[in-house]
Amino acid sequence: MKYRHILLIIAMGALGAGCSSIENSRNLGNPNVSAKTLAAQVCSNCHGLDGNSISPTFPRLAGQQAAYIVNQLTNFRSHQRLDPPGPEYMWGLSRHLTDEQIAGLGEYYSKQEPHRAPTTGADPKLLAAGKEIFEKGRPEENVIACMACHGPKGQGIGSFPRLAYQHANYIANQLDVFQNTQGRPGTPMDAVVHPLTGEDKEAIAAYLQAFPD
Amino acid sequence: MSSLKKQIQRWGLRVQALALGLMAIFTILLPLDAQALPAFARQTGQNCVACHAGGQFPELTPYGRMFKMTGYTIGERTVPVAVMGVVNYANIANPPAGTAKNAEVVFATGSLFLAGKVTDNIGAFTQITYDNFAVDNGDGSFSGHSNADNMDFRFANHIINDKQDWIYGVSLNNNPSVSDPWNSAAAWMGYVPAANLKSHQFADPQTPFPGFGSGGNIAGLSAYLFWNKTVYAELGSYRTADQAFSFMSAGVADVDMHKLDGSNNPYWRLALSHEWGAHNLMIGTSGMIAHVYDAGTDTSDPANLGQFRNIGIDAQYQYILAPHTITAQLAYMQQETAYSDNAGGGISGLTDMNYVSRAKVSYVYQAKYGGSLAYFNQTGTTNNQTDPATSGFTYEAFWIPKQNIRIGAQYSAYSKYQGGSTYIDQTSLLSRNANDNNTLFLYAWFAF
Repeated sequence: MKYRHILLIIAMGALGAGCSSIENSRNLGNPNVSAKTLAAQVCSNCHGLDGNSISPTFPRLAGQQAAYIVNQLTNFRSHQRLDPPGPEYMWGLSRHLTDEQIAGLGEYYSKQEPHRAPTTGADPKLLAAGKEIFEKGRPEENVIACMACHGPKGQGIGSFPRLAYQHANYIANQLDVFQNTQGRPGTPMDAVVHPLTGEDKEAIAAYLQAFPD
Repeated sequence: MSSLKKQIQRWGLRVQALALGLMAIFTILLPLDAQALPAFARQTGQNCVACHAGGQFPELTPYGRMFKMTGYTIGERTVPVAVMGVVNYANIANPPAGTAKNAEVVFATGSLFLAGKVTDNIGAFTQITYDNFAVDNGDGSFSGHSNADNMDFRFANHIINDKQDWIYGVSLNNNPSVSDPWNSAAAWMGYVPAANLKSHQFADPQTPFPGFGSGGNIAGLSAYLFWNKTVYAELGSYRTADQAFSFMSAGVADVDMHKLDGSNNPYWRLALSHEWGAHNLMIGTSGMIAHVYDAGTDTSDPANLGQFRNIGIDAQYQYILAPHTITAQLAYMQQETAYSDNAGGGISGLTDMNYVSRAKVSYVYQAKYGGSLAYFNQTGTTNNQTDPATSGFTYEAFWIPKQNIRIGAQYSAYSKYQGGSTYIDQTSLLSRNANDNNTLFLYAWFAF
């Protein structure tokens, strides 16, 4: 009996060693693990394999601008991005990512197809208000139209992120971060969000998640 | 009396020394912030809230469950050591005569964890616990003792691409369901460690929780798979943790060992899981058949061999979206005890049934301020046991000032104890009211 179990442990070890493959590695400290592997083995646990995350705690990354992802991962890695997702989740995960892995992750998510999250009965008035700000802004109150930088379809360009289909809760939180904290320094958003009211932020967030055709 | 005083003073000094020690460690580790965390947090570099729902360890978030199911291998290898300490206070409404340390602050338990990633596919979670009140010396003093606590060694692989998503693995562990990722599993639903003292016998950790008759510190091997983040299945079998597996029962006295007959003591688990938005839900079932020798008896005598047959149903719901965390757990476990011929007083085939239900809802705000309400109910037959009917509620409030410190207060109110609203205390043979046992239990829980 004893030997059978010792054999079992040895077999388990051998199985472990034999199956250990860099293609399925979850090692965040190994520069040889490819970005695609990291996306599948680590990032997908929260952001979804194709970047269309289910929980609004985690932003949707599908179709995101590669340059924006690279900037964010770099800022998480250097602790320049200080809002709660940094210390809670991303600082640690990104701490030893190489520039090459970060570039690969940017490219990976930029190529995924974004899907609209299932929305349940968003208030049409709120959506209309969000659309108004997104498309036209309120020049008399210095509220800039979102699409001026983020594109008419909310698709983003370069370091300006894609916003369409993003979780409303994530957008609303980030607008708060820009407006009320120094959590994401060095972006034009601090000034842009300044004139927004609480209702504006809610409307923009709801509109971006739904982003009707 | 004077020796008792000395003893109390000595314990007082020990508690003070411990508190000072913990404060010193805390002060040293504070500036490191995110680094100042237990082993897994150091491995991933993440905060406790990433894996623990609203920061209320040990309950896992969906990501925490993935971390566990993938064998604790996410991240990078680091120093795989963490420590935990629990300070308790219990105050029984009407303590039975001779209840030691009622309404006293005590250092209850301390644990050392060796936990973390070993290779890309192998990881471990092992806990060794020091019980400060392991032995009652009978003169008012106690002696501490350490033994193997939960242990879970895993091999896991995750096959995920646009066509399929499978996690599969093997767990070598010493406690049925310790391998389970959900908090409604028997090994995890009870969470606050309580001191091994009579004054803590009615505190929430000692109220009825669903459990397996086999007990812990046994050795089991199980294989599991998780398909498409939807179906979880696990199948394993347990045996005595002796010979090559004796490290899994290290420190447990032979007379306290759970000795199983052979290796055919199957454990199984099936669960369905679904996530939508910030919500997730699991509905599952589990069971075990364990052939167990009566504690401390001769294992060569088949008349000492009994059997436990457990079947459980459990469910867990979580809503996690900062700043709110709402979780609910529901668990039901039935246990058929087939007594050994000797335990059955020479009557062959004597059995008893026990049914335990437990429900708990909790709310945590900003992963800092929380509360919970739990209901427990146990019933059973009385063929060869005292009427186990026990029921009541536990109300809890807790505060997580730093992510690795949790301070809580639980009040357990009994409507029934051992058969009814009044019962006969088996030690004193005096009648007591169930609500005499109502207990205020305070805990301070540290992990570094």
